[in-house]
Amino acid sequence: MTTTVTKAAVVAERRPAQRRSAGVGRPGFAWALPATAFFVLFAVVPLVLVAVLSFTSWNGLGSPRFAGLDNWTKLFDDPVMLNSLWLSVLITVLGVLVQTPLSILLGVWAAGRQRNRAILSAIYFVPLLLSATAVSVLWRTLLDPNFGVPSQAKWLFGDGNLLGMQSGAIGVLVFVGAWQFTPFHTLIYQGAARAIPQVLYQAAQIDGAGTVRQFFHITLPQLRNTMITSMILMVVGGLTTFDTVLILTQGGPGTDTTISAYYMYQKAFKSFDFGAGSAIALLLVVVATVISLVVVRVSGYDKMRSSVEGL
Amino acid sequence: MKTPARISRAVAAGVALALGLTLSACGGGSSDSAGGGGSDKIHVLVYGDAANKVEKQLVATFNKTSKVKAVLDTIPGADYQQKLQTIISTPQAPDIFFNWGGGSIKPFVDADLLLPLDDFIKKDPALKSSFLPSVFDSATVNGKPYGVPMRGTQPVLLFNNKKVLADAGVTPPKTWDDLLGAVKALKAKGVTPIALGGGDQWPTLMWFEYLYDRVAGPDVFQKALGGDKSAWESAGSKKALGMIRKLVDAGAFGTNYDSVKFTDQGSPTLLATGKAGFELMGSWEYSTQQDSHPAFAKKDLGYSSFPTVAGGTGDAGNLVGNTNNFYSVMKKTKHPEAVAAFLKLQYSDEFVKAQLGIGNLPTTTNTEKFLGTSASPAYSKYQFDLVKKAPSFQLSWDQAYPQSASTPMHQAVQQFFNGGLDTDGFIKAMQALPTA
Amino acid sequence: MSKQRPNYLAGLGSVVWLLVVGAPLYVLVAASVQSRADYGASGPLSLPRHFTLRNYVDDFSTGFGRYFLNTVIVTVCVVAIVLVVVPPLSYTIVRSRGRVTTAVFRLFLLGLAIPAQAVIVPMFYVISKAGLYDNLIGVILPTAAFSLPMCALVLTGVMRDITPDLYEAMAIDGASSWRVFRQLVLPLSRGGLSTIAVFSALQAWNGFLFPLVLTQSDSTKVITLGLYNFRTQYGINIPGLLAAVVLSMVPVLLVYLFARRTLVQGLMGVGGK
Repeated sequence: MTTTVTKAAVVAERRPAQRRSAGVGRPGFAWALPATAFFVLFAVVPLVLVAVLSFTSWNGLGSPRFAGLDNWTKLFDDPVMLNSLWLSVLITVLGVLVQTPLSILLGVWAAGRQRNRAILSAIYFVPLLLSATAVSVLWRTLLDPNFGVPSQAKWLFGDGNLLGMQSGAIGVLVFVGAWQFTPFHTLIYQGAARAIPQVLYQAAQIDGAGTVRQFFHITLPQLRNTMITSMILMVVGGLTTFDTVLILTQGGPGTDTTISAYYMYQKAFKSFDFGAGSAIALLLVVVATVISLVVVRVSGYDKMRSSVEGL
Repeated sequence: MKTPARISRAVAAGVALALGLTLSACGGGSSDSAGGGGSDKIHVLVYGDAANKVEKQLVATFNKTSKVKAVLDTIPGADYQQKLQTIISTPQAPDIFFNWGGGSIKPFVDADLLLPLDDFIKKDPALKSSFLPSVFDSATVNGKPYGVPMRGTQPVLLFNNKKVLADAGVTPPKTWDDLLGAVKALKAKGVTPIALGGGDQWPTLMWFEYLYDRVAGPDVFQKALGGDKSAWESAGSKKALGMIRKLVDAGAFGTNYDSVKFTDQGSPTLLATGKAGFELMGSWEYSTQQDSHPAFAKKDLGYSSFPTVAGGTGDAGNLVGNTNNFYSVMKKTKHPEAVAAFLKLQYSDEFVKAQLGIGNLPTTTNTEKFLGTSASPAYSKYQFDLVKKAPSFQLSWDQAYPQSASTPMHQAVQQFFNGGLDTDGFIKAMQALPTA
Repeated sequence: MSKQRPNYLAGLGSVVWLLVVGAPLYVLVAASVQSRADYGASGPLSLPRHFTLRNYVDDFSTGFGRYFLNTVIVTVCVVAIVLVVVPPLSYTIVRSRGRVTTAVFRLFLLGLAIPAQAVIVPMFYVISKAGLYDNLIGVILPTAAFSLPMCALVLTGVMRDITPDLYEAMAIDGASSWRVFRQLVLPLSRGGLSTIAVFSALQAWNGFLFPLVLTQSDSTKVITLGLYNFRTQYGINIPGLLAAVVLSMVPVLLVYLFARRTLVQGLMGVGGK
């Protein structure tokens, strides 16, 4: 969610300052106090505590003990941790690679005003109505090798050992992520595609450009900003994937799908090493923030207005 | 360190304030459960499942006569141990709680949270003498008793589908070679020889537990658990691993076992529907099958103990599994007398009958009298004799080790099966486990 | 684009995607109206032979009603908190010129980058020290706090669209901040208010991590946890589970059917998570 956000934030901050309207009662800071206090208490303070806890050793019993840099040094020596970073990146990148082309095609297609497209789009939207938990539970059931779809479609799934090997398990995570979130990104692209001025297409048609050419020369370039928005969302979403891993693979087989967000949960709430868990959590915040910032900078995103605005 | 504690206190105060201010409108959201603050109550926390019926009944019995009332709280599903550890040092901690003995309570003993039961036993020696010693002892930590058995014992047995075995001309294996032969015969019939819920990981662990015992006897694991990590490199350890490797490579578990789970009934259904010949599982397999495949449970569900290994030092009668579940007592309880009175019920006739009625097998000395009243007398008697005669009853490894070891242990076991770790890799992984 | 000849390739692609999306949804609904025995015998892809609502009834009798109620409580309270604290916040951000207010706005922007997973450990610590562990209030507070940044952002954007002339008109009447807020700002940002209500409701309704870590008993269980535990309990009944999945979706589906635009706007906020 970070990013719709960043975008909206940029928009919000950039609005020209309002003209002075003298003499009107202006609200004092007291108006903002409840929300601020609430937010500080439940988001900022915990974040500070994460930082503090990452330098302690605590198993949930008694009080945390100061442990210096122990958690951090151990973390960078821990093969599972390093591997989890790699897996997080891998799953995120695969997610972006699968979802982006799919949702652009579907979004542009759905932007057409034909009645059949409207009806199909409404159906495409349905996975978005389910929670990540529900989606994971549904797919776990569907993919059961003996009682799920693989048992009825052996030609496609073979012995159905999808979750029992690394490539299969990663594939499942990427696919389920795409199943759930492609509708969302489709929606973004649909809105953006509708906002492309029709004049451009009309001009192209006069020049005799076909559908394919129009798509590559007009539609795609016009969707550039939207692509960045959508990709930032995918990246942050991918890095914080949790429900799907917990329910579908539990980080397995072995540690083959133990991505960082899940490893944090495992360290903290399964092995009761809250210090190490906090260190991973802090690392996650830093990585997610840095990635968002880098993408924003590299793309020059902070200098433009969002194309999705007003959707 | 003091700092975080102070911060948290300040935060807590702030939270309380914020609560009062912002949430008076949301009063309906509060829950009435859990939390052991009440002055005239003791909270009993148990693993939430079908067996709660008996616990409810005993709490009701207790409350009929006691001035201090017992309240039963449950944590459902597989998260029990996790949730327990998260609340045990908070004000929400119960007075009495369910556990697996051994490593599952060791951290709590180390944190000085539990009440040693010596005094209770001094006042009421039956609190100890009413239970089978091998079982009672597995809740002894640092030489002191910390748990009273509740519910039943759950040894791991080799279950089979009699019809499938008969079709393949196989009998329940007495030796490891018999088992290898059976695997071959079943495979030839196109059946997965052994159902395994590898997705849950702990069912896979059971194979290690039994093979280590049969090959090298119970001491190797005890040594390792005691902190002697060289035990994992011993010849016995390596031999057991080699045998497991061979079994897996022979296709005994098929190819997709890691996508199958016991907890969603995958593996038991394979056994019940004749798609697999065997399943190594805790004694609860029986009630699971009765519940979901009653016809199969009645007619074709067979069971035997784990085969012996030629040249191995472990006794054929040794068992592994959950020796029993236990009630342990928190030191901070305000009503030790009431707690003691409650624990007394755990060897009463009423308790034994009720447990047998739901298919559990209590380990009290008076259990034998009532075996005939059990839901399935033959099965109960079979198990009771096994447990009573067992020279060693090894608590499941993941329960014997501290909780923090269980995830890496499960992962190593799974990786050894699927080839992700070789023998040396597995040994190293086991040596890296914290032994507390 | 609408005047073009039919695009067959796109048509084919759209049908393939319809299968990818539709087949699982078909299994979901079809399995939920079959008996356990029928499902087991014929597998997920077959046509249901005997229609039954038994699974839905069973779900309610095994505690799903309670989970449903808990989720409703959590959702209503989260939305209530958001609707009480965010409008004055956004109003201040838009109208106040103080440096503190700018700082506050930046703070909320920063908050957008904090994933809930990152603070779950201290959140657990704080909530349990505050005695709110296993209490719905302990779920409501962090859930609401974590939907604040997005809501503040959306609503602030909407409120900025109110033209200064309107404020001036009220100033001539000598209106107090409170009157301006009530008579001008609130009525004109109704659309934004419903967007943030839907957004925070979705966050609460679908929330999983906070309830997972901060509650334990049956009496405080929310739907997502009910689904999760349905899986890990033994004696599982797949049609019953899938019926529960359908149930968990019903309220969102209703909003989708009757307030599509607002839902879509709320979802745009949910975004990556």
